[in-house]
Amino acid sequence: MFFRMITGAFRRQWKKMLMIAMTVALGASIATAMLNVMLSVGDKINEELKAYGSNITVVPRSEAVISHLYDVDETEEQAEYLPEETLGEFLTIFWANNIVDFTPLLDTPATVNGQEVPVVGAWFDHHLAFVKKGTTYERNTGIINLRSWWDITDGTWLDEAKLKGDRYAMVGQKLAATLSLKAGDTFTVATDHGTETLTVTGIFESGDDEEGMLFTTLSTAQRLTGAEGQYKKAEVSAITSPDDELAVKAAKNPDLLTGDEYDLWYCTAYVSSICFQIQEAIPQASASAVRQIADSEGKILEKTELLMALITLMSLIGATLGISNLVTSGVMERSAELALMKAVGAKNGQITRLILTEIILTALVGAAVGYFMGYAFAQIIGQRVFSSSIEMSGMVAFLVTILVIAVTLVGSLPAVRMILRLRPSEVLHGGH
Amino acid sequence: MSLLELKDISKIYGNLHALDHVNLTVDQGEWIAIMGPSGSGKSTMMNIISCMDKPTTGQVIFDGRDITKDSRRKLTEFHRDKIGLVFQQFHLINYLNAVENVMVAQYYHSMPDEKEALEALERVGLKDRAKHLPSQLSGGEQQRVCIARALINSPSLILADEPTGNLDEANENIVLDLFRQLHKEGTSLIVVTHDPEVGEVAQRIVRLEHGKIASDKKNEQFAE
Amino acid sequence: MNKKHRMFIRMVMASLLRRRSRMIVALLAIVVGATILSGLGMIYYDVPRQMSAQFRSYGANVILTPSDGTALKDSAVNQSMAFFPSEQLEGYTPYRYENTKLHNLPVTLAGTDFASVLKTSPYWHIAGTLPNQNGQTLVGKHIAEQFGLRVGDSLEPINSFEVTEDMDVTALLPEEVYTDPATGERYCDHILSLTVAGILETGGSEEDYIYVTLSDLKDFTLTDRGYDIVEVSAAAREDALKGYLTAINQQVSGVSAKVVKRVTASESTVLSKLESLVLIVTIVVLALTMICVATTMMAVITERRREIGLRKALGALDSSIVAEFLSEGLVLGGIGGLIGSILGYLFADVVSMNVFSSAITFRPLLLPITIVVSVVVTGLACLIPIRSAVDVDPALVLKGE
Repeated sequence: MFFRMITGAFRRQWKKMLMIAMTVALGASIATAMLNVMLSVGDKINEELKAYGSNITVVPRSEAVISHLYDVDETEEQAEYLPEETLGEFLTIFWANNIVDFTPLLDTPATVNGQEVPVVGAWFDHHLAFVKKGTTYERNTGIINLRSWWDITDGTWLDEAKLKGDRYAMVGQKLAATLSLKAGDTFTVATDHGTETLTVTGIFESGDDEEGMLFTTLSTAQRLTGAEGQYKKAEVSAITSPDDELAVKAAKNPDLLTGDEYDLWYCTAYVSSICFQIQEAIPQASASAVRQIADSEGKILEKTELLMALITLMSLIGATLGISNLVTSGVMERSAELALMKAVGAKNGQITRLILTEIILTALVGAAVGYFMGYAFAQIIGQRVFSSSIEMSGMVAFLVTILVIAVTLVGSLPAVRMILRLRPSEVLHGGH
Repeated sequence: MSLLELKDISKIYGNLHALDHVNLTVDQGEWIAIMGPSGSGKSTMMNIISCMDKPTTGQVIFDGRDITKDSRRKLTEFHRDKIGLVFQQFHLINYLNAVENVMVAQYYHSMPDEKEALEALERVGLKDRAKHLPSQLSGGEQQRVCIARALINSPSLILADEPTGNLDEANENIVLDLFRQLHKEGTSLIVVTHDPEVGEVAQRIVRLEHGKIASDKKNEQFAE
Repeated sequence: MNKKHRMFIRMVMASLLRRRSRMIVALLAIVVGATILSGLGMIYYDVPRQMSAQFRSYGANVILTPSDGTALKDSAVNQSMAFFPSEQLEGYTPYRYENTKLHNLPVTLAGTDFASVLKTSPYWHIAGTLPNQNGQTLVGKHIAEQFGLRVGDSLEPINSFEVTEDMDVTALLPEEVYTDPATGERYCDHILSLTVAGILETGGSEEDYIYVTLSDLKDFTLTDRGYDIVEVSAAAREDALKGYLTAINQQVSGVSAKVVKRVTASESTVLSKLESLVLIVTIVVLALTMICVATTMMAVITERRREIGLRKALGALDSSIVAEFLSEGLVLGGIGGLIGSILGYLFADVVSMNVFSSAITFRPLLLPITIVVSVVVTGLACLIPIRSAVDVDPALVLKGE
């Protein structure tokens, strides 16, 4: 009988039920979209912040202590290098997926037309394949993505894959002006270790010291330096979590952490734990955070996440009120019918159970529809803003369901209270 | 002169002949009860008389004027000038008090006038309840407000649809006394009812069956 | 017509005031909608400004260098700073670099203004404290490691130079000046006594410098030649910055002003994403909320079909019924819009205080916009159900259960 009354109610009241379901769907879609966007906004903004370039630098361990002794007088430098094979290790660490880009750098003073020129060897868009313990790790990486702010004023980026050989260079605007170089020109660069004839692929404007430098492929720089198969420094751009107390504590000395703290720290993408893992993978290297980038990233992420959280909260409150509002008026509207049921002897408990079952079933249908609408909205937001899809969290589906049920119940409360107080004669006589 | 004339009226819903070639003449000042079981066509007839519905075929002549061909807007104007309606469920606006409910009818008719509205309530014996909301009035009181509202624009005809259907006996008597008084004052009354006690106090009784007039006779017991 | 107007107002007010619970339901819906509209609106308009300030944690976005290869003078710096609107100028820090020797090894001393240095380099991590008086120094981490320096240690870089005729060395200690007995030339080994106040960690080239106060550096070198570079942090977008810089480069002689592309270009990218994020979120949430408001209003009106039927039965023209119900809706929309726009402002302010620790800028224009949108949405939401209710045959409505 109970079941029949419910299906009966749906058949007779389908318009109102549809309206309630629709409102619930709208509310649920707001909740779904906003919660999902909120949960993934950190990652998305983090990816955008990679435009600022690397947030970790890796240098040979010993260099951190002594190489700067001779910083001013380069010729006497007893340079220390890292072997090129170690670059592949970046792909093997725990947080390898968070490492977006990296490049080795090898700089050396050289002369062009008798003029002192700083030469830097790097990967531009290098294809790296690294085999370790039978697993092959592959990645295209280089400074193309680590110098997003470079404007190419003439020519193009140095494209390692398309160009034949490695004798190419990109020249900073300032240097290009003094050497009168433009894209397509060839010139000769000389060091103690030999000379190379390079072709200019592009001239760049960077707004910093690099405008006075000459960038060439790593292999060319290695020949000019006499350091085959080696590099001096690596820039790494990684997606990191903002530092918190644990990270600060760990940064001082990871050995002071308790076992649990250590595990948590190690398995969180703090810049310090990523540095630590790089040093584990490459024992002869020392990795450290570039504070300007790492700190600011943390701050901006934190602000963005908080902002989105509060906007989400506001939307949730709005959605909640919207739903409970309509549920209340929807149930109230049926007071006459419910009074009639009371008049024919239905108990309060029975009526309440009937009403709540009806309304929750309706709400759940609405929530299901709303979830998919919310999914669509979240994807629209993801595509429009970040040109990538937004990951749907299972937790959100669960949360939205709970929220909808709770809101519907709360929304029905005033109506149910009214029903319980209702004297059937009043309603049936009132006419309205 | 007759107030209202129904000439060969039929109302057809699909296959159902709700009214089937009905002829009826109502004179000025007459009190007619239209009786019959459910589905006999009472409501349809009432809707046609009150200009809220049009017949499928036939003519309605009201005050010597054929209103079947009037536009909707004309019909609405005609209806509000000539007819006062009394409903079984009273249909008072629940957020307006008694006098305001009466004034609504004035408002749509011509000009609201609180004094006149209070006088109308006085006529139905509710002057002291003028500021009460419908929810604070008993069923009988609500029906009397409804009658006052029907009276306020001095209509040519009062049309009551089961006016006592929702009332107990005491209130039913009050309402019927009011009708008697209105009749004495010369108001034309048509009461649609299936309740013999209500029907049999009228001056003339028309019985409908299956959309046709089964009988139409003067009420011998009618006390003038 | 006067009495008729009064009755009209009386009916509308009675409906609003005596049907309190229903009206509250409707009003609440409108208030929520209006709150979201004005709140998100204000946040949207304020986010670029607020976030732009956050992006200043990347530090300087403009650098001034001498255009003639000499040094920057105070007058030129002050003149340049005048081009930045004061509310956008977060701070500027001058730097002067001098090479010298410490324990016979070459090091670079950087003279700077410690009072403003964290404005342009907020990311500096300092173990110890920032120097706050002459004689104190901030040592880069590399240098500290190289020389085994810790906070509280002292160091004494020595400036050795030949004293020429025109030099005034009277201020120096007698033991610092000596004469080469062979040539008769006078030499000076001027010592700067410093105490390490803090060790600087940045992960960048700053770790290779020894930072001292500008006046210490002046005493040490016996000259005050000006600055090599001035870092400026201004909370302005790339386009605005470029405008200021063009003006500086044209009007201030001896100064070459450049944006730090790494900072400004990236900031533009990220900020524009953030802005469009807030915009699209605002639009989606607003659209959905407005539909919610509309459905609630529709429910509220649909409930009153019977009343509409009755009014028709009493002889009301369709147009006057529409007018009555619409005015009710418009009054509700207006009140709800007013309350909502104020609540929205308060909400935006709470968000702003929590996220950015600064008050939101009140946009007066959003107040009338919110009210107008609320009135229009409510009006439209009322109109649809009223129209359909008015079309219904009153006889059916009045007879129906």
